Amino acid sequence: MKRGRERKKETQTTSSSPPAKPKDLTQTLPDSGGMDELLEVLGYKVKSTDMADVAQKLEQLEMVMGEDGVSQLADTVHYNPSDLSGWYQSMLSEINNTGSDGVSSSVDFDITLPGDASTTMIDFSNNNVTNGQQTSNMYDDDPYDLRAIAGGAIYGISSTDESLEDRNGIKRMKSAGSDEIIDVPPESPRPVVLVDSQEAGIRLVHTLMACAEAVQQNNMKLADALVKHVGILVASQAGAMAKVARYFASALAQRIYKIYPRESLEDLHMHFYESCPYLKFAHFTANQAILEAFAGATRVHVIDFSLNQGMQWPALMQALALRNGGPPAFRLTGIGPPQPDNTDALQQVGWKLAQLADTIGVEFEFRGFVANSLADIDAGMLDIRPTDEEVVAVNSVFELHRLLSRPGAVDKVLNSMKDMKPKIVTIVEQESSHNDTVFLNRFNEALHYYSTMFDSLESSALTQSNTLDLEMSEVYLGRQICNVVACEGTDRVERHETLTQWRTRMNSAGFSPVHLGSNAFKQASMLLALFAGGDGYRVEENDGCLMLGWHTRPLIATSAWQPGSVVET
Amino acid sequence: MVHILENGEHFRADNREPEPEPEGFGSGFSINDHLDLLIEVLKRLDGRSLGAAACVCRQWCAIARNDSLWEHLCFRHVSPPPVGVRPVVSALGGYRRLYMVCVRPVLSRLKRRRLGGESEVVRRVWNQHEVELSLSLFCVEYYERLLVGGGRVAGDSPSSSLKFLCMPVNV
Repeated sequence: MKRGRERKKETQTTSSSPPAKPKDLTQTLPDSGGMDELLEVLGYKVKSTDMADVAQKLEQLEMVMGEDGVSQLADTVHYNPSDLSGWYQSMLSEINNTGSDGVSSSVDFDITLPGDASTTMIDFSNNNVTNGQQTSNMYDDDPYDLRAIAGGAIYGISSTDESLEDRNGIKRMKSAGSDEIIDVPPESPRPVVLVDSQEAGIRLVHTLMACAEAVQQNNMKLADALVKHVGILVASQAGAMAKVARYFASALAQRIYKIYPRESLEDLHMHFYESCPYLKFAHFTANQAILEAFAGATRVHVIDFSLNQGMQWPALMQALALRNGGPPAFRLTGIGPPQPDNTDALQQVGWKLAQLADTIGVEFEFRGFVANSLADIDAGMLDIRPTDEEVVAVNSVFELHRLLSRPGAVDKVLNSMKDMKPKIVTIVEQESSHNDTVFLNRFNEALHYYSTMFDSLESSALTQSNTLDLEMSEVYLGRQICNVVACEGTDRVERHETLTQWRTRMNSAGFSPVHLGSNAFKQASMLLALFAGGDGYRVEENDGCLMLGWHTRPLIATSAWQPGSVVET
Repeated sequence: MVHILENGEHFRADNREPEPEPEGFGSGFSINDHLDLLIEVLKRLDGRSLGAAACVCRQWCAIARNDSLWEHLCFRHVSPPPVGVRPVVSALGGYRRLYMVCVRPVLSRLKRRRLGGESEVVRRVWNQHEVELSLSLFCVEYYERLLVGGGRVAGDSPSSSLKFLCMPVNV
């Protein structure tokens, strides 16, 4: 429906693009374009330059009406139907005012004449941009004061005045009872333009952050109002920012209404694998470290903490098959969660890997373990053979952070890892701090992290004809967002931590770092060079670990470890 | 490309006896009677020309599908040439498929990035890492077809994990 309206808006704009002969208006506005001819036939005077604005207001109206119901409009007084813009303004202001239980009439707003409106907004804008605290001070006064959204700031000088000030300005003028004033359009005498999408993006972010602050302070009524406002803002936006905002808004709403999402069932891992290089990077760098650790061994054993579809192992098996001296005997132990339909997904993956191994001539053995949590597995179950017979590698891609939701679990797993006597442990984790005790900090970190992620997905979207993978990857990331924002306690499993934090943990658990060599770096760089959207991806080396990031922001980090503390050599 | 001399002159390669004139064609030398020569020539072609040669006639098509020609193409300029690769590559689908699905896109992508030009893609030495990467991607692609199909995907189209290689860049 929205799309239809947009198309209509477009066609109307194009049809009126040759400027109509300027009518003689009662309002002499220096920059007035012609009236839209089509609408004029129907009796509405709408400037063609206003069209986009009017359409936007129509959308907002629909959005708001959809929530509060049409009955609210019964009391609305409509002034001059030919002034479409003004009419919508008044309707919107009515709805907003009734929505806030009529408190707004008692709130003191500056009456702003159109001429002054711009100045006020600019000042406000400057204030707001420089001092981020402005927002919180504003709404301490009045829980329903939607100025918290920093309306002026982001509406800026484009005179699409959705700010409450102007709306209430109209209301004031209305009660003054003078029709002439009302006919003065709230728009200032500058050309009406659509809100600059960058400004709108900033507005969106500010609103989200204000909402998170409200949640942090347990001010749920305000948070609720803000989250609904985000919904309105997002409707007129497109692109990566809008998508991220939608997920965060939805997660915030779930947190506010205490509807905790259940762990979702469908496996979107493969889509994420296809659409962007993060998983491929993880696999290739980890494999390189494992390959180097396996040099010279005749029997090897890999323990994979999250087998999924086993996409990591074909490349390793191929490299082993082609190494000097021929391939070792390759044993794989895959761990995975129980499946809802009770199928043995692990065995199926194992079977396919066995077929591949047979094709390329590698002796292969597979064993699968179903476990709700890694902490349920201990080394004794895994049939660890003596070190002189078999070399062991432990591999964990995006799995260890889940253990942080239960106290003691991660230490237990790190200890049993030592019991597995691995020659090398490869860990890939998200590079961000989503496990802070303070909700607001987690929220802000997550907002930046996932915005960057979605940005990078957006760029690879340009080169893919199949958008299914992309869309499913967004859902996959959206689930993570929901978990970080809406869940708590043992449900909150996406407890990402930074490389520094993991380093500390591994060191104190008795592991020492193994440097990923230059081969891994070269291969990773080459892999990224193959991605068409690859200009933005960066591989960085960080004290022996490799990080993949989008422009300047690292997003995932691969590190390798071996048992034995740093102190004793 | 191959020039067929029609004026009755014999095409004389080094260390070869001149062949007697073939019957039914009057004077002239037909390369189709000297398939070993044809193969020697085809070995030296680049990928695009080899593909074009496969379209000339049925006989050439059959010859051009010979996997050893494509093996030559893939690793002709690799220094040092990889050892023990043939059985693995053959098992995973053959050199022709390796070239179509991995080698050609990888080289062209890397080449374009490095020089930004449209020069001859194959006439350069490509290093161990590029070989390894191509082979790894090839293996992943095979595995994906296993996961998806159970059978092989017909033709030269790669499965999804390598689609990113095939998308045109700034065409």
